Amino acid sequence: MEAISHDESWKSWFRLHGPKLLLCARQWTRSLADAEDVVQDAFVRYWRRQRSLGGDPQALLLTSIRRAAFDLARRNQRRTGREMRAEGGGEAAEFLFEPLAEADDRRRAIEAALQRLPAEQREVLVLKIWGELTFDEIARQLDIPLNTAASRYRYALAALRRELSAADCHG
Amino acid sequence: MDEENLQLEAELKRLRPRALAPAVEARVAARLATRRRVAIGWWVALPLAAALALVVVPWRPAPEPERVPLGAAIAPDPLPATKPDEYKPVAAENLLYAARDEGVVTLADGVQARRLRRSYVDTITWRNPRTNASLTWSVPRDEVRVVPVNFQ
Repeated sequence: MEAISHDESWKSWFRLHGPKLLLCARQWTRSLADAEDVVQDAFVRYWRRQRSLGGDPQALLLTSIRRAAFDLARRNQRRTGREMRAEGGGEAAEFLFEPLAEADDRRRAIEAALQRLPAEQREVLVLKIWGELTFDEIARQLDIPLNTAASRYRYALAALRRELSAADCHG
Repeated sequence: MDEENLQLEAELKRLRPRALAPAVEARVAARLATRRRVAIGWWVALPLAAALALVVVPWRPAPEPERVPLGAAIAPDPLPATKPDEYKPVAAENLLYAARDEGVVTLADGVQARRLRRSYVDTITWRNPRTNASLTWSVPRDEVRVVPVNFQ
């Protein structure tokens, strides 16, 4: 992953990598709005204070996003159910990926199958495929053994394949 | 990994995550711009204050030259000009000094979760390669992990 080197380049970097960060953030937050907030906070923090530390910006940002998401979850825990309902609770018709010009049904089927995966398998799959982390980085990120990260990934792919086959059979 | 998994992996990689809403980029730009204005303000204000101080302080005649020991009169070696005169981070470490299991809590959506708290001291050291001066910054940090638990 290239470093973010120039002051003016943050927008192009953010446009290129922001969607992947948002997708990863969505695994740890209750809503899309929360995911956008934690991505925004993490990026501003990175740009102001952590840019000079070097290293892979995406891995650093993912760590920051995960922490921010847990902080947000803790704050939300204190809010009453009434407040949550007033905000509308869930979001209708949220999509994770850009619609495809062709075979968009397949994209929708994959999204639906992803949602049905166990959370711990889904987060490993998302970090590996779209977060572009290695198993070693995922293990450190999630504080799990490397073999666990690799096996969760394999289980996730297998489960996804089963879900998609079932969806194909049922039309 | 078998062929079918590889195919599925390739198919997943072709999916592009949804773009961020333009409002998110606008909010980031606004926050970064606020910071930049403050930074420019200091850069302008400090030299201005220094120049003003030079103008305001009344001129005084130069004091009589003093005798100084020979050793003190020798100017120090000039600093090597090839190295940049700026601080660069040279070390960063996280020291974990406590880990506590705070027990099972119930999240707002009714999910049972275990709350784990880890206490760290983060230390970052910057060094100026030209002057060899260093600056160390240490800050305590608590990391709380909320891990959903299943009772089966």
